[in-house]
Amino acid sequence: MSVLEQLNSGGVYLICGAIVAFIAAVCVIFLVRAWRAGRALGMDVTRMKRAVTASATFSVLPSVGILLGVLALSGSLGVPWPWLRLSVIGALHYETQVADAAAEQLGVSLGSGQMTVQAFPTIALLMSICIMWGMILSTLFNKKYLHRLQQGGKTETRKSGGFGDKAMVAMFIGMVSAYIGSYVGGFISGNGLFTFSGSRTPLAVVAAAALAMAVFTYFSEKKRMAWLDNFSIAGSMLIGMLAAVLIGQ
Amino acid sequence: MDKQNNYESYLKSTHRLGRIVSVITLVLLVGAPFAIGTLLGAGPDLGAVARGFLSVGLVWTVSSVVEFLVYTPMLGAGGSYLAFITGNLINMKIPCAMNAKELVDAKSGTAENEVIATLSIATSSLVTIVVLALGVVLLIPLQPVLQSPVLAPAFANVVPALFGAMAYKYYRKDPLLAMIPLCVMIVLFTLVPSLTSSTSFMIIPSGALAILLAWLKYRKAVKGEAGA
Repeated sequence: MSVLEQLNSGGVYLICGAIVAFIAAVCVIFLVRAWRAGRALGMDVTRMKRAVTASATFSVLPSVGILLGVLALSGSLGVPWPWLRLSVIGALHYETQVADAAAEQLGVSLGSGQMTVQAFPTIALLMSICIMWGMILSTLFNKKYLHRLQQGGKTETRKSGGFGDKAMVAMFIGMVSAYIGSYVGGFISGNGLFTFSGSRTPLAVVAAAALAMAVFTYFSEKKRMAWLDNFSIAGSMLIGMLAAVLIGQ
Repeated sequence: MDKQNNYESYLKSTHRLGRIVSVITLVLLVGAPFAIGTLLGAGPDLGAVARGFLSVGLVWTVSSVVEFLVYTPMLGAGGSYLAFITGNLINMKIPCAMNAKELVDAKSGTAENEVIATLSIATSSLVTIVVLALGVVLLIPLQPVLQSPVLAPAFANVVPALFGAMAYKYYRKDPLLAMIPLCVMIVLFTLVPSLTSSTSFMIIPSGALAILLAWLKYRKAVKGEAGA
């Protein structure tokens, strides 16, 4: 049985499916409670229905984009685990990057040929741990934080605004630069200093994905096709991956 | 007065429920790799997890703190518990909840906002769960195709594909600032090619350099505004 066949086995589907089902039940409970609370507050049912309908229709396209993310990760991690991660807590850019960092620690790569059964639980655990802080902070401080804001009469906090937003962008710029720097360095000196004989495929994939992202952004911003944003990351990734198939390495 | 009491009681029970389901979800998500590992006959390498966390986990921890501080007031109690459990915040949950709030004209910080944000996030999460479940059922018959050798290079290049897309997205926000860490990283990886096997660790100096440059630029702009 191949590694991917094991990662796609019934048992793994059962574990991941049970957690997805639990989260679905939680969503239904919160939905029903909020609906009842709205009724008790005397809110207009038509407005509440409108909020539900608008949210459902708004979410269909992004969800298809997220599904493409499951497709992108399925060749390395099987289908059930990316399905769980992207249904419940994750986001495509996060999952891919953390999975790759974990694979690096184990000396394997996310490429389908190199994944091992031994590596998978380590990768999966790091993916779970790295993104759980939002939930932990919420569990510990949500009540106190909202209470404090209410007492202060604030509706929104921008304490971390200003430089906070810029620091986030800078952090991602740093992260992207490290990876692209490694692809360029790998090409120039991968097979000996300044031999320019390393693999060109990652660079071609980066270029194809960036170009695709530029096209998505152009149509989204200049041609008023904002809905395209829902597919921009996953769509650009798939185009970049297609470039790798065409190069055939 | 009754309405106010009911709402206070709703909020109190929402916090209790939110904490309980968050803890259960945490246990399930951290436990799942161990359960799958047992099924496959292999446990996680905790040393590798710790090393991986030191390299990339810190970046996402900072990101989580900022998200918590910024999004919790927008989403209220119920909405934020659910949003942090179900994820996909920036690309879906936040714009979805903002859209619903605008449609029904709910003001931030009000009881109405609390209800609408929770309805919106819960609905959005359920739609994602249903779409992904249907998609996964459709993916099962496609697995032989997905595992074919022709498609192997595609899946071997998922990470460069991601960073290509992200490069355009983030570099265009500040191209000049981006050039410095990019050039430094290219020089480092070219002169010390063995660093390629520790790329995720290199995020730390690269990110620190980018944040330092952003800070210097920010300080300059603030001083400029103050002087004007």
